[in-house]
Amino acid sequence: MRAWLYLLAAAVAGAVITTPALLVYAFAGGTVDDALFAALATLMLVSGLAVVTMRDIIRCGLAMIVCFLALAGIYVVAGAPLVAAAQVIVYIGAISVLILFAIMLTQSKDAPARLVFQTQAVPAAVAAVVLAVLIGLGVSSTDWGEASRRARLATDALAGVLFDQYVLPFEVVSVLLLAAVIGGVFIAKREREPD
Amino acid sequence: MADSLDAYLILAGTLFAIGTFGFLARRNAISMLMSIELMLNAVNLAIVAFGSFIPALKADGSVIALMVMAVAAAEATVGLAIVIAIYRNRKTPLVDEYDAMRR
Amino acid sequence: MDTLIPLIAALPMAGFVITAAIGRRLGRRAFWIPVLAVAASWAIAMVVVVTALTGGFAEGSYTVRLWDWIPAGGFHVEVAFVVDNLTACLLIVVTTIGLLVHVYSIGYMAHDPAGYWRFFAYLNLFMFSMLLLVLADNWLTVFVAWELVGLCSYLLIGFWYRKNSAALASKKAFLVNRVGDVGFALGIMAVWVDTGTLNIQESIHILTSETLVAFPIPVGLIALLIFAGAMGKSAQFPLHVWLPDAMEGPTPVSALIHAATMVNAGVYLVARANPIFASAPETMVVVAGIGIFTAILAASIAMTQTDIKRVLAYSTLSQLGYMFAALGVGAWTAAIFHLMTHGFFKGLLFLGSGSVIHAVHEEQDMRKMGGLAKKIPHTYWTMLIGAIAIAGIPPLAGFFSKDEILGEAYKLGFQWVWAIGVVVAIMTAFYMFRLIGLTFWGESRVEVAVEPTIHESPRVMTIPLWLLAIPSIVLGLILAWPGPPLGPLLGLEGPGLLAGWLEPVYEHGFEILGHHEAEFAIFGIDGVLILVSVAVATGGMLAAWRLFGVEIGPLRGRAEPAQVKAISARVPFLYRASLNKWWFDDLNHLLFIVIGGRVAAFAWWFDAKVVDGIVNGIGTVARLSGGGLARVQTGHVQNYALGIAVGLIVMVGSYLVIAGR
Repeated sequence: MRAWLYLLAAAVAGAVITTPALLVYAFAGGTVDDALFAALATLMLVSGLAVVTMRDIIRCGLAMIVCFLALAGIYVVAGAPLVAAAQVIVYIGAISVLILFAIMLTQSKDAPARLVFQTQAVPAAVAAVVLAVLIGLGVSSTDWGEASRRARLATDALAGVLFDQYVLPFEVVSVLLLAAVIGGVFIAKREREPD
Repeated sequence: MADSLDAYLILAGTLFAIGTFGFLARRNAISMLMSIELMLNAVNLAIVAFGSFIPALKADGSVIALMVMAVAAAEATVGLAIVIAIYRNRKTPLVDEYDAMRR
Repeated sequence: MDTLIPLIAALPMAGFVITAAIGRRLGRRAFWIPVLAVAASWAIAMVVVVTALTGGFAEGSYTVRLWDWIPAGGFHVEVAFVVDNLTACLLIVVTTIGLLVHVYSIGYMAHDPAGYWRFFAYLNLFMFSMLLLVLADNWLTVFVAWELVGLCSYLLIGFWYRKNSAALASKKAFLVNRVGDVGFALGIMAVWVDTGTLNIQESIHILTSETLVAFPIPVGLIALLIFAGAMGKSAQFPLHVWLPDAMEGPTPVSALIHAATMVNAGVYLVARANPIFASAPETMVVVAGIGIFTAILAASIAMTQTDIKRVLAYSTLSQLGYMFAALGVGAWTAAIFHLMTHGFFKGLLFLGSGSVIHAVHEEQDMRKMGGLAKKIPHTYWTMLIGAIAIAGIPPLAGFFSKDEILGEAYKLGFQWVWAIGVVVAIMTAFYMFRLIGLTFWGESRVEVAVEPTIHESPRVMTIPLWLLAIPSIVLGLILAWPGPPLGPLLGLEGPGLLAGWLEPVYEHGFEILGHHEAEFAIFGIDGVLILVSVAVATGGMLAAWRLFGVEIGPLRGRAEPAQVKAISARVPFLYRASLNKWWFDDLNHLLFIVIGGRVAAFAWWFDAKVVDGIVNGIGTVARLSGGGLARVQTGHVQNYALGIAVGLIVMVGSYLVIAGR
């Protein structure tokens, strides 16, 4: 019976995701890109909501992975394939794994029984909605000038800029990562028991 | 829709708002960190969108997005290390029980 | 002269300082330094006085500049002493009586060795203050001295400070004085505002100059304010309440301060400022009215009092009233005349009463005296002389001065003052001989235990009595010679001695008033007035003899206490009013203690509850709001983050709104 349920859930999810895509493609006169964009956007937002609302943390983590995947897809649609690749490798491959490890290390037995949300959840929701509205308003009321069609970026062009103009930030970021690693190890180290 | 900068930006804003809500409302510290990752991703999306649509920012958008990703990784590392250290001390991952600084 | 005049005041000051410093150790011999200081001061004063009165000073006055006190640009005050004839007359009274009281105190205070040195120190301080007052040449110095004598009065009335009544009386004296001092201070400030100078002569000159200048503060008001100060110091109605209570102090204090010197300061002040008063006829009427009213009020009270010193205190009040009445009608010479004669015979009467009290072991109630004439003869005879003098029987001193006051009052158009004054004269004679009768004549009502110990006072006390008796007898004759009333009787012309001395002091005032000495018609109006004065005085005396007995030489009469009671019973209201001092003390108590107490209590409540309440309320508000605001500090990071988010939203939103416009 369980498997049947999961299958049903997957079907619903798929429907939810493809419906807007089809709608856009069929009725709004959009291209394939538009449909793809709609589907991926829906997936991303739904999984994002899942991350912040689900009770079980591990499920939140998994939803986060799905969100990142959808985001990578949008990067591709936007014409930045390298970034999409980096997104998958870094975020899903490294950060999400890290987070899952941390969840495992900080699990307590009675976690699911307690409240999910803080007492200030409602004001927080209001604030978030208002923020979204404001950003939307601000974005739509700005004239972006000659916003031309999205351009697909060639990887070698990116490489040229990265290692030429931005080589200093590149090196600094690597040092930063080193520092983060060392710092993280140090902070999370268990205190030595006096022998 | 895929061709309008506004769509990408509104999408990024919505994701950012979702992340904000999660950051302010969840009790578990790691949930907060996950929400922070969501927010950072939203910003990344915005940057990539700008880089894609505005000719003057052709390659810069992607480069900056990569930098942001790297920084996010570093930040997640340290943040999680801290959460683990606090968990070891307080035996709970719930932030509203970290109130030793209160009065 | 430049050194002599300051020495008059400096010697008692030095005496005070030295006695205060080392007096305690000297014990019984503490009196030497202060008495010698005052004696030296007296001697020097006599030299100065003689020089002044015989015309030794070129312009009639001599000024000794001591130092610049306040050189503050426009406000310039220097300390200087000025001696003119008026000062000289006051100096005679102050230094002579002062010296005699000091000598008397050697004996009187001898049974109080612990406070001996303190007493003499205070006496010397008082002498200094009083001399400063009469020698000062500007209002501010006078005011300082004014306050100093008030202080000395307080210290000396409350000399036996452990006695509750004495402490209360000294406070009362000081406070009532202060009321008058407020008026005086305002008057001085008004003088400054009007004239820009505080020098007495200069300011008087400016205020009374011929040119009709409209002063910001009218001269009449200044005169009234100065009189207010005099009212306080010289105990005129309604500020008279402190003088009878001041009898709580030792008798020498009563003699010196409250008979002969301090209470005369007010009279001196008004006399000194006579041109100012002359320029304000309305104020002079007020002065005369208050003066004569005080005279009759006090005399009526004196008739029923049983404490020997109280009778004398009310008598002083009454005679001071006479002096102010004289000042008010414009008879300034008469006022000073009475000041001088009264100083001597009242001082004599007080010192004598001290001797009596001493003899009957501190008993002051006359109902417990009687028949003392044979037992304390020196005291008896001197007091009798004093009583005759004050009653106004010629040819003793009181007759001359009192008659001059009454006569001038009548002739200058103040017949009502004359009439009241005549009634007062009757009452004066009556109560004085009542006093003598109850104390010295008749049967002894002294307590049995005390009776055998009655003794005359030592010579150090009786000699001052005799020394005071002499001027009580002859001073009137001397000062009035060769003027009225005896001069014309003997065919002599010209003003009296005192009138001649004080002529230059008063001439400006007389000018303003438009007076001039009328011809003295001994066989006209003046003769009639003299006869009336003598008649009433004699009448009062005889009435007293009838009721309280008499034993002078061949004159004998029994006391009739039953008749006294009968008469008192016929006028119960008057008798009770007199006995209760016309309820003024009760009125003051009601007004200031009871009602004032309520007002004060309300003010205390207001301050404690409302004012403090507001202040505490502010504190409470701060505390509560702080407590309330502290709840923002939850300690939870997410709450803070929400705050940040809200702030961000507000900023972005407002930017959008503004940029949208």
